[in-house]
Amino acid sequence: MSSNRLDPPGPPITRRAFVGHSLLLSTVLSAVPGAAWAALRETPFFADAVAGDKLPRVADRIPAEPAIVDTTGKAGGELRMLMATPKDVRMMVVYGYARLVGLTPSLKLAPDILKAVDVEAGSVFTLHLRKGMRWSDGQPFTAEDFRYWFEDVASNRHLSQSGLPVDLLPNGEKPRFEVLDETTVRYSWSRPNPLFLPDIAGPDPLFIYCPSHYLKQFHQKYADKDQLAALVKKARVRNWAALHNKLDAMYKNDNPELPSLQPWILKTKPPAERFIFERNPYYYRVDKEGTQLPYIDRVILSLADSRIIPAKTAAGETDLQARYLSFDDYTFLRQSEDRNHFDVRLWRTGPGSQFALYPNLNTGDAVWRGLLRDLRFRRALSLAVNRHEINQVIYFGLAIEGQNTILPQSPLYRPAYRNAWARYDLGEANRLLDLVGLTQRGSDNVRLLPDGRPMELIVEYSGEEPEEPDVLELIRDSWLHIGIRLFSKPAQLTLFRRRVFSGEALMALDKGVENGLANAASSPWEFAPTSQQELEWPKWGQYYETKGRAGEAPDLPSAVQLRDLFNQWLGTASPDDQAAAWHQILQIWADEVFSIGTVGGVLQPVVVSDKLRNIPEKGIYNWDPGAFFGIYKPDQFWLEPEAGAKSAAAGTGPAAATP
Amino acid sequence: MLSYIVHRILIMVPTLIAISIVIFTIINLPPGNYFTTYIAELQGSGETADLAKIQFLEKEYGFDRPLWQQYLYWAGGLLHGDLGYSFAYDLPVDKVVGDRMLLTAVVSITTIIFTYLVAFPIGIYSATHQYSISDHLLTLLGFLGLATPSFLLALVLLYLANVYFGISIGGLMDPKYLDQPWSWPKVVSLMEHIWIPVIVIGSAGTAAMIRRLRANLLDELQKQYVVTARAKGLHPLKALFKYPLRMALNPFISDIGSLLPQVISGAAIVSVVMSLPTTGPMLLSALRSQDMYLAGSFLMFMASLTVIGVFVSDLALALLDPRIRLQAGRRQ
Repeated sequence: MSSNRLDPPGPPITRRAFVGHSLLLSTVLSAVPGAAWAALRETPFFADAVAGDKLPRVADRIPAEPAIVDTTGKAGGELRMLMATPKDVRMMVVYGYARLVGLTPSLKLAPDILKAVDVEAGSVFTLHLRKGMRWSDGQPFTAEDFRYWFEDVASNRHLSQSGLPVDLLPNGEKPRFEVLDETTVRYSWSRPNPLFLPDIAGPDPLFIYCPSHYLKQFHQKYADKDQLAALVKKARVRNWAALHNKLDAMYKNDNPELPSLQPWILKTKPPAERFIFERNPYYYRVDKEGTQLPYIDRVILSLADSRIIPAKTAAGETDLQARYLSFDDYTFLRQSEDRNHFDVRLWRTGPGSQFALYPNLNTGDAVWRGLLRDLRFRRALSLAVNRHEINQVIYFGLAIEGQNTILPQSPLYRPAYRNAWARYDLGEANRLLDLVGLTQRGSDNVRLLPDGRPMELIVEYSGEEPEEPDVLELIRDSWLHIGIRLFSKPAQLTLFRRRVFSGEALMALDKGVENGLANAASSPWEFAPTSQQELEWPKWGQYYETKGRAGEAPDLPSAVQLRDLFNQWLGTASPDDQAAAWHQILQIWADEVFSIGTVGGVLQPVVVSDKLRNIPEKGIYNWDPGAFFGIYKPDQFWLEPEAGAKSAAAGTGPAAATP
Repeated sequence: MLSYIVHRILIMVPTLIAISIVIFTIINLPPGNYFTTYIAELQGSGETADLAKIQFLEKEYGFDRPLWQQYLYWAGGLLHGDLGYSFAYDLPVDKVVGDRMLLTAVVSITTIIFTYLVAFPIGIYSATHQYSISDHLLTLLGFLGLATPSFLLALVLLYLANVYFGISIGGLMDPKYLDQPWSWPKVVSLMEHIWIPVIVIGSAGTAAMIRRLRANLLDELQKQYVVTARAKGLHPLKALFKYPLRMALNPFISDIGSLLPQVISGAAIVSVVMSLPTTGPMLLSALRSQDMYLAGSFLMFMASLTVIGVFVSDLALALLDPRIRLQAGRRQ
């Protein structure tokens, strides 16, 4: 279930529901009695400001058509969190998760800031705004904010030198943008654009609007020339475009003056060691008892070195913390649970595999390249990884063993994808290697390459995660049994990537696919050669990214097929066709073992203060989809005025998502 | 003497130019620049970076120009007092460094005073009571102080202070005072927190100073003029403080050269471990993320202080020790 009344009862809102139906609020509004208006309660935090006529009454602050949320709670309080760098203020845009269209806890798309979205044939998107909705400074949020962004920001060659964001350009085609009326805008393409809605729902969303009333004073077209020149000079930047881009920080979130739609607004001007966020007086969501959200008045981010954050968390210096904690802190945190009044929960993460090996199919060493491109060789390597041992030794047996592919929580999941070539079978691995022709062995029983060199495989990794060398050590032991000697080589992150991109590295150990929770509507780009970031085929990915200007064209038939299937997915709006493309991609991915997975669904400790309510006991802690806490809507979290009994902390949350 | 001073000041100029070239070169040695490091970081956590925007920024900040041009741009700015721009903070460097400088100086000066207050009495006592039981005990304590890794000591003290005194972990004050103006409770909170870094940073320095003072003083105490002074019936304390101790001080005066930059740089490793809002962690992260103007300008500032510090300590030595003063005069 979802706690958002916007979801019409009945069939869940999937892309299918978007096509054809219009999710108009009017039908839902009628379900809320008109009495809800009389019952609107003034937020205590603003009571003085309202009494002093500094702020309009709550009824005049919320939109005429607010989002009504099926939850109750108490307003007030401060939420403390720890962050490591000043750049982390952007996390409040991720956690706040006010999106035009957002994901629900069950990972379905639903209108959020928008009242409704009409989608026709996957290519014409009509967005309906809420009437009377306002920015955090009280100015109206209207179609003009979309027009300004599209015409004066994204299409302005000074502000956006590279033109429109690529996600608005399926097959290079620009959308047609129309303002239908003050609260309705439309984007249309001649072909489907399946990336559009997932992108504006993302953790770092595509912002297709911006506070035009504020930014116009920094825009050449609208501002007074002399005044603008003075502002540019004062800010010590080169020109008006640099100033505009610096202030238009909707994701970076480091400009306290920028009006926002998020639940909490930055009040501290950087640089600082402690950032204070205050509730947005014009927020668009109201609970069913007439209390304006968010419940929590202020969010306070204190900076500390990332290595000291687990210790500070254990000392009870945060009310909600998951960032900078990892699974190996779990036992340590549990020890301090009672003394410092918090609860450590374990949420599932979304990457398909915590760590995966990526044989570099573009490596410069011709002999190794030939081997790594041999399907049987990759399968043999995978069969000789003891996943059960890795799971037991490093993750107390709590992770999910298998290949680097989607997780069981994904609607596309089939056990065969995850289990393909993932058992531990040294006999079969040795047999496959013999079949490849690697029968010559050196003095210490290590196989010899066709050119006589011993099979010493160097696996490079970035060393960002403390578990990486441990995993490699375990794999090294089992690979010795199939006559391959593994050497591990850590390198600084940038250098590591460069070595993989250039083909100097033979094999890399890195995070697995990010979106292990994919549904048919999410992009399968990670499984096809589409980006240089894919460490198994960086040059093929680069070729796709640069439209053939750099990199190499893929020459392995299965990789070409994956790319074609990805393009096929891009070109369709039908959920069935998308799912069909996904399954073909996953099947090829499973057969070909392009990357060798270890364990996935690793648990993330989430430390929740005993005072904090409405946060699920079990959940997904993931970047995309998930926006970390975002899909659980932290504006619904609330604080018990006095720390209550621990048992009360459990069970009051909104629907716990399937872990 | 005057020509000596002028000579020393003139030689500072080529020294600083050489240092600036070395700093700039070393910062630019690792592959990539701030933006490539930043992209790698973003992608490492699953976020996407707009590559076109990055290219725009690289151009905006002159990364596409040859290195020598970038150097001249930076060095030219330094001459005007323009320290450049920090990419990580998106602010001019002077605004980033300013806030941290004061707290760093507070920590460092407190540490130096702590070191002197502890090391001098112990060092003098050890030297005058050589090979007594108390000397052995203090020596053992000193070696423990030298040998204990300071970051470990920091972690242990942080833990104990949190569990037994309820002091928040890390930082120099309770988080709630961070954005408030200075007030009495804020000073109290600072005092509550500052003793751990002071002990941790100071312990190794104190131990080293005890050993050096003891050794220097022992050398002097055996000299004939001390024996003569004692034989003539000079008060034992005067016979100790008036001459031998003064002689034993020379190495500490020449230390002033390195003391000055220390005051503003703080102890980086300990500060990182204890999450102190000082300049050390800032410099470390700037170097790691290749935030080159922040790192470069700050290192340059420290280098200038070192050069000035050495100069000051040379002058102080000449003032303090007539032997140096007179010899210098003879050579001229």
